[in-house]
This record gives sequence, C-alpha cells and structure tokens, in this order.
Amino acid sequence: MLFLRLTHNELIKIFSKWRSYIGFAALAILMPLIIWGISKGGSGMQQQVERQLSDSFFIVGSLVNGFLATHLVMNFLWIHIPFLVALVAGDVVAGEGGAGTFRIYLTRPISRTRILNTKLAATAIYTILLIIFFALMSLGLGRIWLGGGDLLIMHNGILLLPESAAWARFGLAFLFATGTMLVVAALTFMFSTMVNNGIGPIIGAMAIVIIGLAISNIPISIFEQIQPYLFTSYFDIWQQAFYDPIPWGEIGKGFLLLGIYLAGFLGVSYAIFLRKDITS
Amino acid sequence: MSEPILQIQELSKSFRKRVAVDHLSFSVQSGEVFGFLGPNGAGKSTTIRMILSLIKPEHGDINIFGKSVRSLRNKALHGVGALIEDADFYENITAQRNLEILARLQNISSKRIDEVLELVELSDRAQDKVKSYSHGMKQRLGIAQALLNEPKLLILDEPTTGLDPRGMKEIRELVRQLSGEGITIFLSSHLLHEVEQVCTSLAIINRGKLIKSGSLDELFYKTDLFTTEFHVSPLEKAKQVLSNQSQVEEVIVADSSLKVKAPTDQLGLLNRTLVENGVEVTAIIPRASLEDYFLSLTESGES
Repeated sequence: MLFLRLTHNELIKIFSKWRSYIGFAALAILMPLIIWGISKGGSGMQQQVERQLSDSFFIVGSLVNGFLATHLVMNFLWIHIPFLVALVAGDVVAGEGGAGTFRIYLTRPISRTRILNTKLAATAIYTILLIIFFALMSLGLGRIWLGGGDLLIMHNGILLLPESAAWARFGLAFLFATGTMLVVAALTFMFSTMVNNGIGPIIGAMAIVIIGLAISNIPISIFEQIQPYLFTSYFDIWQQAFYDPIPWGEIGKGFLLLGIYLAGFLGVSYAIFLRKDITS
Repeated sequence: MSEPILQIQELSKSFRKRVAVDHLSFSVQSGEVFGFLGPNGAGKSTTIRMILSLIKPEHGDINIFGKSVRSLRNKALHGVGALIEDADFYENITAQRNLEILARLQNISSKRIDEVLELVELSDRAQDKVKSYSHGMKQRLGIAQALLNEPKLLILDEPTTGLDPRGMKEIRELVRQLSGEGITIFLSSHLLHEVEQVCTSLAIINRGKLIKSGSLDELFYKTDLFTTEFHVSPLEKAKQVLSNQSQVEEVIVADSSLKVKAPTDQLGLLNRTLVENGVEVTAIIPRASLEDYFLSLTESGES
C-alpha cells in the first residue's frame, strides 16, 4: 500500500537525523534523575503529606509511589514536551526544502497531497512514540523504582485513587496529552511548510506556545475572556482524567476546540504546500 | 519526423515583478539529445522546474508524452527521470537506502536499484552514507536515481557542475550511452562545448524568451561562425585554389593551416579540388564554436 510505503520513507528520514533522538535522550536522562530525586526525598514528602492529612485520614502504606511521581513529573514537564515535539515536526517539510531533497522527491509521479499526508502521519507517529516513551520512563520506571499504591490527587479536596483505577486514569491522561501535543505538532508542521529551514518553525511554534501559555495562565480579565478560545488553555486537559467524576462534557468541549485548531493548522499547511514553488 | 515527447507551450512565470520565463514555446522530439542553453538567469532552471511541476506556471502548458503536466501530472511524469543541479540526498543514510526511499514511491524493484548503481559504478560504495561521498559520486548517484524508473525522457539540469574533467567525461559518455539506448535526453548546461559534443538539437533562451531552437545542424553549422580547418601543403597554393571556389566565403591563414568558411556539404568537393591541383591534404577538421554562436545570439539583442 502506497500510503504505508511512503510513511515508512518519512519515518526513515526522521530517524536518520540525530535531532530526532534528542527528545528520547532528554527523557531517558531526566526521568531517572527525577524519580531518583523523589525516591531520596520521598520520606520527607510522605511525612509532609501525612501531617496535612492526619486530621482526616489514617494513612497506611506509601503515598510517594510511582503514580504520584508520574503525576508530579507530568505537571513539571508539559511545558517542555512541546519543544521536543517541535524539534522534529519543524524539520519534516522545511528540512527537505533546505536540504534540496525535494528536487528528487517531488518530481516523482506522486501527488503532493499524498506526500504531505505521509509526512503528517510520520510526524504524528513520532509525537505518539515520544509520549509513549515519556509514559514508559515516568509511569513504567516510577512503578518499578518507587512501587505502586494509591494515587493522591488534590483537586477541590483530596482524592485517593486505588492502584487499579490509577492505571486507567494515567492511560486516559496520556491519551489526552497526546491530543494536545498533536496540536503543537500540527502548528509546527504548518510553519514547516512555509519556510526552508528547520529552525524557524521551531522558534515560531514555541513563541506562540509560550505567549499562549502566558495568556492562558495570567488572571487578568481581558485575557480571561479569550482564554477559552486559546488552544494553550487546554494543555493541562490531561489533569481532568484524574477528576472524580471525569468531566467528559468539559473534556469534549476542550477537544472540540483543539480539533478546530488542528484542522485549521493542517488546512493552512496543505494550502501552502500544494501551491508552493520549490526553488531551493 | 519522430513524435514530440515534450512540448512547451506559451509558458510563463514571474517571481514578484521579475519575469523569469516569458511565453516560452518549443518541443523535443523522441530520441533526441536536446540541449537547453541560456546565460545565467535566463530562466532555464525555472523552465525545468515547471516541466517537473516543482514550480507552477502562471500561463501556458507543458505536455509530456502527450499528457498535460497541469491536468495529468502523475501520468505525464511517469516516464520521466530528472537530475536538477546538484544531486542532494538524505545525507545520513546510505546510497542504497536513498534509492530504496525513491524506489518505494513507484514500487520499483531492488533489482533495478542494483542495476542503476552498477551503471554509475557505485555498487561497491552503496552501503556508505551519502555524506561520505565526493561531489562527483553524488552526481553519479543523482543520475542513478534519475534512471530508477527506466525513464523514456531524462532531464538533466547542469549535471556536470562542479565535476573535474574526468567526471565531466564520464557523464558525457553516460549521456551518449543512454541516448544510444533510445532515451530522449533534455540537457541543460552552461558548458557549451559539452552541449556541442552530445546534443543533436537545442533551444537557446535569454531573459526567459526563446531565441532559437532546432537541430544543431540547422542552427549552427549553417551559420557564418562555422569554419573548417584544412591542414595542407603548400599553404599558399592551397589558399589560392580555395579562394577561387565560389562556395568558399573566406580563407584565412592561421599558423600552419587554413581556416575556411564554407558550407559543410561542400567539404568533400573542396578536398577533391585541392588534391586535383596538387595540394597535399593531411587533415580536414570542422572547427566551430558554439560559444561564439551562443554569444552572438545572447549578446546581439535578439532577445
């Protein structure tokens, strides 16, 4: 099947570049370090939590476990993961323009739409692989290193999720996070169709993400009016996977907006790429 | 007359206010080695990129094998192979892998990859990463990728740029070999002696407009820039004999030979006349400079 053959091509191109491993390498170094840190400071953290909860709860076992560590790590890193996604998504189209390889690739009797479809698919696969790796390095490693147990969530009170429920909730959380990261990938991909170097799209996308995150989090009334319409306001949508009950209506609305942004970014990408003159 | 394999009709393209190609029309017949000439910035590369649908024309159309590149792009490009300027590949992967990537686009067998690597003499370096290749090797790999789909029309845009004399000769010989195998070749080059050596027809453009097109014989050998060098003895007697011939326009003594301006189809007759008049003829060498012809056209304001 042509689509699979061409997607295979794009994955070979992505994984032939060292920049594609930066995200994996960063997570492979950072995650064990963070989990090691949590394991070392775990007893202090446990005592602090116990002190806060001792009036209402009788705590048995360790709350500082792999689940809590993963939840903390996800809170720390969702601002940084977009950069790792953009690093590759920004290069997928622009990199080829800059390297001049479009001169041999786009002169074949295959439509540009098909080629862009496969570039997009490869970008999405890369993003998903990065999130899976993040999940393995945080949840997998955390569970092995720090053990299991109940997951403590503080949101409008205290929620203790049993281990059996925690797995499913993390599954949902990573799924939601993948959705937001795909929007970041699409944004960077759009910039990538506009230029012929891989750096510009990364800078452009990160500038928008940073500005968007700032507006999404600053409690000023004028910003608060536009916050519901910014895709960056939904970067933490994964946290809703841990609420009880899960606010499916709110999540649905969030993903509807993310979907509109995704469609918009991709629409612009196709419009540009299909009309683009390859002069490099 | 063979079938036109490539037809350019009223092709135009501008980049902002600069007109790159201006109502350009010409055709390439099947089996030809077609030279596409023009000074830098004449619009050659833009034209080639439009043929290959890398650049969209503003006006006009291109037909390859009778199919419009505008409306039937994929069918039109099906039998086309191309190398545009420097051969740029995915540097971090091997030559074999690069060709596999391109082969996958058209479902081409691995046997064909081996064949083209053999043809350009890169089989023994096929497993090396392209970033370790010299410029000449990359150009040869560029030709290999252009031949992957067994094209009927091969488009080469400045294929010898940056090559040493040996590399240029190799590419030239390859062009002749491929032409001998029945492949129509569209060759853009600024190296005029190269075009002169391999091409059968040509088009010359300047500032995006066509100046001349036709067979090399029609365009060039019948111009007054074409001269023939006669190595004769004695020189003065030979000059006198030739000067008396009505077909001869001009005879100039140059070193130990004569430079004679006369139609090419009269050279046999002139040789016989010299011999009959007791002149020893040791060599007759057509000396024509496409460069002079090219410059006369591009600098004369014909554009």
